[in-house]
Amino acid sequence: MNLSIKIKDLVLKNPVTVASGTAGYGEELSHFIDLSKLGAIFTKGLTLQPRPGNRGNRIIETPAGVLNSIGLENVGLERFLSEKLPFLKQAGATVIPNVAGHSVEENVELCRTLSSLSEIGAVELNVSCPNVKEGGIIFGTDIGLFTNLVEKARTVTRCALIVKLSPNVTDVGQFAARAEAIGADAVSAVNTFLGMKIDIRRKKPYFGNTVAGLSGPAIRPLAVRIVYQIYEAVSIPVIGLGGIASFDDMLEFIMAGATAISVGTMNMVDPGISIMLIEKFGIYMESEKIGNMHEIIGIAHSPGGLSEECP
Amino acid sequence: MPTLIEKPKQVAYGHFLLRIESGTEHSAPGQFINIRTSRQNDPLLRRPFSIFNHERTVMSIVVKSVGRGSEILSQHPPGAIDAIGPLGTGFTLAANRRVLIAGGGVGNAPLFYLIKTLAGLHCDITYLYGVRAKELVYLPEQYKRHSNRFIITTDDGSEGTRGYATDVASELAAGGGYDMIYTCGPLPMMRAMVEAAKSTPVEVSLENYFGCGIGICSGCSIETADGLKRACVSGPVFNGSRINWDSMQDIY
Ligand SMILES: Cc1cc2nc3c(=O)[nH]c(=O)nc-3n(C[C@H](O)[C@H](O)[C@H](O)COP(=O)(O)OP(=O)(O)OC[C@H]3O[C@@H](n4cnc5c(N)ncnc54)[C@H](O)[C@@H]3O)c2cc1C
Ligand SMILES: Cc1cc2nc3c(=O)[nH]c(=O)nc-3n(C[C@H](O)[C@H](O)[C@H](O)COP(=O)(O)O)c2cc1C
Ligand code: FES
Repeated sequence: MNLSIKIKDLVLKNPVTVASGTAGYGEELSHFIDLSKLGAIFTKGLTLQPRPGNRGNRIIETPAGVLNSIGLENVGLERFLSEKLPFLKQAGATVIPNVAGHSVEENVELCRTLSSLSEIGAVELNVSCPNVKEGGIIFGTDIGLFTNLVEKARTVTRCALIVKLSPNVTDVGQFAARAEAIGADAVSAVNTFLGMKIDIRRKKPYFGNTVAGLSGPAIRPLAVRIVYQIYEAVSIPVIGLGGIASFDDMLEFIMAGATAISVGTMNMVDPGISIMLIEKFGIYMESEKIGNMHEIIGIAHSPGGLSEECP
Repeated sequence: MPTLIEKPKQVAYGHFLLRIESGTEHSAPGQFINIRTSRQNDPLLRRPFSIFNHERTVMSIVVKSVGRGSEILSQHPPGAIDAIGPLGTGFTLAANRRVLIAGGGVGNAPLFYLIKTLAGLHCDITYLYGVRAKELVYLPEQYKRHSNRFIITTDDGSEGTRGYATDVASELAAGGGYDMIYTCGPLPMMRAMVEAAKSTPVEVSLENYFGCGIGICSGCSIETADGLKRACVSGPVFNGSRINWDSMQDIY
């Protein structure tokens, strides 16, 4: 059965991918799964220089979720190209690097270099980083900064460009529509929600960075709602993620409008989950006699659009 | 999937021994297994536990009940248990050495598998078993059997020598004559051990907070003289003198 999907010219074998930051560079995950079976692997957020990440506490469990403040620890572009990419290619993986620069120039440089490589069919622009050159405002939460960044990135990106949206805004649909207007080939949603934990013993924030990103099943209903909203706002593919922990969860995202999905936090709990989802998806398509996945993408939408009533 | 052979057995106040049919005979002292305590995703993350013993395919762990996950495990029914491992990098093993070993509380767990292995390698073992009070001592006879010298210390003097295991260990270490020191326990204890050891190599087994336990999240990274290391992959056992101990206090 053909489960493949397309993002511009890039063909994914199936719609199941693993999310950035929850799959490393594939090496450790490859002890548990065959990376070549995945639709794609989104690698850890990349910066030009290696980054050590945040000091102190970096992760803690919350009810059905996780707060993380890793601080983008990553190997930097050079080692990514010399060590990580060759490994992933040899493993037969479809690789989508997650670009996480902290200035427009850094993101431009990363997109330019990565997209010029024949091994890379798409890059994912992570707009949840602060713009350190201009007051540390998160690119993805200010429509002006966002527009400027996506425009510059689009100009230099020769392969498919996926923009990973921040959920920490009032209207994600507006940001998705802007990305589409600039020429992005897909959007992914959601990145982590801003959260916080207070260490009541020490009477101060648990994380050195004060705030942290919330992920896992705890955020799933929020993420499904956002994917649904984005689907109403754009016609480019949406990659849906946020707390997917079962095949039913994956179907929710597809019916809300996702063309592909990513497993994030649940890789940490069950490293084999992505392969299980691919198998179940194949069985589902067959048993439901669905010839083409597009028959169910966004099927939950009613012609009237989003309700304007109070909940 | 691994199976819990029998009901967890209480071996000391709040401490439970779990015997698991693991399906493998391979592991090394200092390695751990990572257990999912709920299928309902709450508690969500797996919980890491050091291998206490491994005989043929049966692995055992000692679980101290400190929160939701460990409490669920202490009451886990016999049958399938969602454990992955062995994971991580264990202790350095060498034959015919004089070794000093200091365990604190539930941190004694990985050290049992260690001394059993070292005894088989004809090491001379001095074991310091530190706990807060008598009712927290688990399976002392088993430890004793594999040690050449076995000393229990309790903070309140309710059993053995009164005081910290590190106080006794520091005195012994200062006297020299050991080829190697191994320790696992509370952070201040391991740090004190490393400082007391002077030029004797010390291996410590860390128990900082883990996210995935398999190397994919970088949630467990610690600062060492060799750069950042993921404790779940490069550790949990580290050369104590390479750890930046000042940076550790914030991550417990
Ligand atoms: C490599 C490694 C080996 C370990 N070996 C053992 C072992 O052999 N036996 C054993 O009983 N425990 C061991 N631990 C600690 C054990 O994993 C934690 O006690 C357990 O995860 C707590 O889960 P919980 O749901 O019961 O606690 P939670 O409800 O999550 O938390 C309760 C309390 O425990 C603390 N806590 C949570 N996780 C940890 C942790 N990783 N280390 C220390 N404190 C924690 C929390 O800060 C909180 O104060 C080990 C930890 C590591 C990293
Ligand atoms: C430990 C951790 C690290 C992450 N690192 C990144 C990253 O580097 N870049 C990025 O775009 N998203 C990162 N994310 C966000 C995830 O890719 C994903 O968008 C989010 O966790 C929601 O999905 P989930 O609930 O399935 O985890 C990270 C998430 C976690 C839990
Ligand atoms: S706990 Fe995830 S990398 Fe170590």
